[in-house]
Amino acid sequence: MRSPSPLLLALFAGLLVLLGVLPSALAVQPDVPPAPAASSSGGLASRALPSPTDATNTCASCHGTLTDNKLRTPTKEYLHSVHRDERIGCVGCHKGDPRDPTVGAHSPSTGFIPHPTHAEVPQICGGCHSDAAYIRRINSRLPVGQLALYSLSLHGKLTSAGDTAAPDCSTCHGKHDLQPPASPLSPVNRANVAKLCSGCHASKDRMSKYDIRTDQFDKWTKSVHGQAFAAGNPNAPTCTGCHGAHASTPPDASSVARACGRCHEQEMQLFEQSPHSQGFRKRGLAQCVACHSNHDVARASANMVGIGPDATCMKCHNHDDKPKQVASDISDLLRSSRERAAEARDAVARATAAGLRVAGAAYSLDQVATAEQKIRAIVHTLDPARVQSMVDDIDKSVTETLTLVANAEKARKEERRGYYTALALAGLLLITLALKTLQLDRRHRQAGP
Amino acid sequence: MSATGWLADRIGWTGIEASLNKRVVPRHGFIFYLGGITLFLLLVQVASGILLTLYYQPDAAVAHASVERIVGEVAYGDLVHAVHVWAADMFVASLLLHMFTVVVRRSFRSPHELSWVSGILLLVLGVGQAFTGAVLPWSERAYTDARVGSEFARFVPFIGGWLHRFMRGGEDVTSSTLAHAFGFHVAVLPAAATMVVATHLFVLMRRPPRKAETITGPTIPLFPDFFIRLAVAMTGVMVVLLSLAIFVERPVGPPANPGVSSAGALPPWYFLPVHAIVRAAPKELLGFEGPSFLIGAACLLGLLLLALPFIDRRGSRLTAWLAWVVLLALIFLSFRAIT
Repeated sequence: MRSPSPLLLALFAGLLVLLGVLPSALAVQPDVPPAPAASSSGGLASRALPSPTDATNTCASCHGTLTDNKLRTPTKEYLHSVHRDERIGCVGCHKGDPRDPTVGAHSPSTGFIPHPTHAEVPQICGGCHSDAAYIRRINSRLPVGQLALYSLSLHGKLTSAGDTAAPDCSTCHGKHDLQPPASPLSPVNRANVAKLCSGCHASKDRMSKYDIRTDQFDKWTKSVHGQAFAAGNPNAPTCTGCHGAHASTPPDASSVARACGRCHEQEMQLFEQSPHSQGFRKRGLAQCVACHSNHDVARASANMVGIGPDATCMKCHNHDDKPKQVASDISDLLRSSRERAAEARDAVARATAAGLRVAGAAYSLDQVATAEQKIRAIVHTLDPARVQSMVDDIDKSVTETLTLVANAEKARKEERRGYYTALALAGLLLITLALKTLQLDRRHRQAGP
Repeated sequence: MSATGWLADRIGWTGIEASLNKRVVPRHGFIFYLGGITLFLLLVQVASGILLTLYYQPDAAVAHASVERIVGEVAYGDLVHAVHVWAADMFVASLLLHMFTVVVRRSFRSPHELSWVSGILLLVLGVGQAFTGAVLPWSERAYTDARVGSEFARFVPFIGGWLHRFMRGGEDVTSSTLAHAFGFHVAVLPAAATMVVATHLFVLMRRPPRKAETITGPTIPLFPDFFIRLAVAMTGVMVVLLSLAIFVERPVGPPANPGVSSAGALPPWYFLPVHAIVRAAPKELLGFEGPSFLIGAACLLGLLLLALPFIDRRGSRLTAWLAWVVLLALIFLSFRAIT
């Protein structure tokens, strides 16, 4: 019997494979997320429905022609929002049936939500933004924990308790024209967030019922953080830098150092080694804030330590002899290190102004600057011995610098002396040669007529 | 046999002495020492230049810092640098003065044609040295000089475009400009200058001695009297040079910055007349670009100057008068440039 041709066999196998794959290929629509299993929002199925950018969307075609601004503008604003996507559309939040060209689109049976209430908003946003599988399909870099964090925050707790004055998602992020946080147009963009928070928190009317202060924004603006922020420092903290965003909560006294320590890590660790760490905890004092204050944190200066009028130590230790002594000792050490460092810098500046380039001076000045930076952190231990060891480091580098400068200046002085000697010798040679000329002239006069 | 006698025997001193003794020079007038002074300054430049080369780094990234290091850190570097800078100005000045006195005294005429031509070539090389040397510190000033100087070169007829690109080492003033300037300043131009100076001195020594009868006024023997007087002049110049170098600072200035405008910047003093001419030139002259015409004319005058002993064979008094007119015109133009 003749065996079937290999070509025919291959064709047959191909047909079988095609028949097997085709139905499933038809069933999967690549751009549509898979149908939800048991979602609390229950809105995932409707995400496949047309959006305002689609001509078949009756939400847009109808509301776009309405004369009432309140009803018409959302369709326009939506076109500029980050949510402009056929997978979201009006129904993503409002539900309803966008395929129905009649008022039936608003029928309660479609789950239509004309005005999401204060309590509903976090649930509607969270419906998508807490769904990791769904969010990953849209933008894999988006976080999904916002709703969970929000419910832990004071804002979220107030909202759950039915306080309609507490902010929900849209209070901060906006509604129909919502922008991504990276956009400068977004109220939650780093550049705008302090203004956003102060919109409520600086208002006496709004804050009166919570009995909290309203001067934070003003204080922050004048603080070292606010000024660095205004100067464009990308590391300067705004409100969310310390309070967090979705989980915003005022740090309590025992956790302030953690908030500050996110940036000032070394200072936090050294503070925890200090006697203040224990003592503050016992007395419920707010760690860093006790000396540096919070919203109006000023540029730290050496004057803060000591027994002088600017010293924060004196706020508590005015009558304690031993702490006063420690403060005074550390203050003396800081002053001497500052004076020594200035001495080195002045010497190098003086040499440079005189046209000298002192080899190695730049390096030893760097050493001084590094030790000064370290000493500013070490102060938080309140341990005079440790401060002293840093002062010794500064002292060593300063001595090195001064020696280098002195050597260079001495060498220059000796050189100058050499120059004068050379000039004098040249002058002497000139005089000798001139005398020789005169002598020759005289000899000629005597010899010839 | 004494040591001097032994040496005299080896170098044939009696012959040299006999030749020297045949020559006399006029007793009065400093102008006979200008050539010697120029040669002395050239030697100073060679010596101080070699010392500077030991520390100078011809790389746009570090050139300025290396000059600052020479001045601020290297032992005796500030003196060597100052001497080199001051001697450069004095060299150009004494070269120009030497040439001027030669023209005024009409000493270019036969049989001194070769001395004249080699002298003019040395002037060209000297100005080249001054220009390339000014670029090396790669300071703001150096950068401007390099830009403006090479911009002027563009107006030279026929070879202007090529010269412009060549001086810059490309279309713009870049690190290539510095590399070109360094190569020319320490190798090409000194080598050429050595040959030209050798020719100048060789011709001076080998030409027939001037007969004492043709000299009006008192004379002195070339050796030893004139030589000792020349030594006095050279030592005098050295005292002046050292005093200037020790007491009058020539700061290096801030490093080159292409972002800084060169508007209003003045070239070195010996280029001031050129600056004035180019600045005053109208947009168009006889169908040529204004500056192009004037610099072309200046180049033509330069060629005429080179050929002077062949044009004015007997050395007419008119030439001497013209020299004065040109000198006054150059001084006038220099003043125009700085005011």
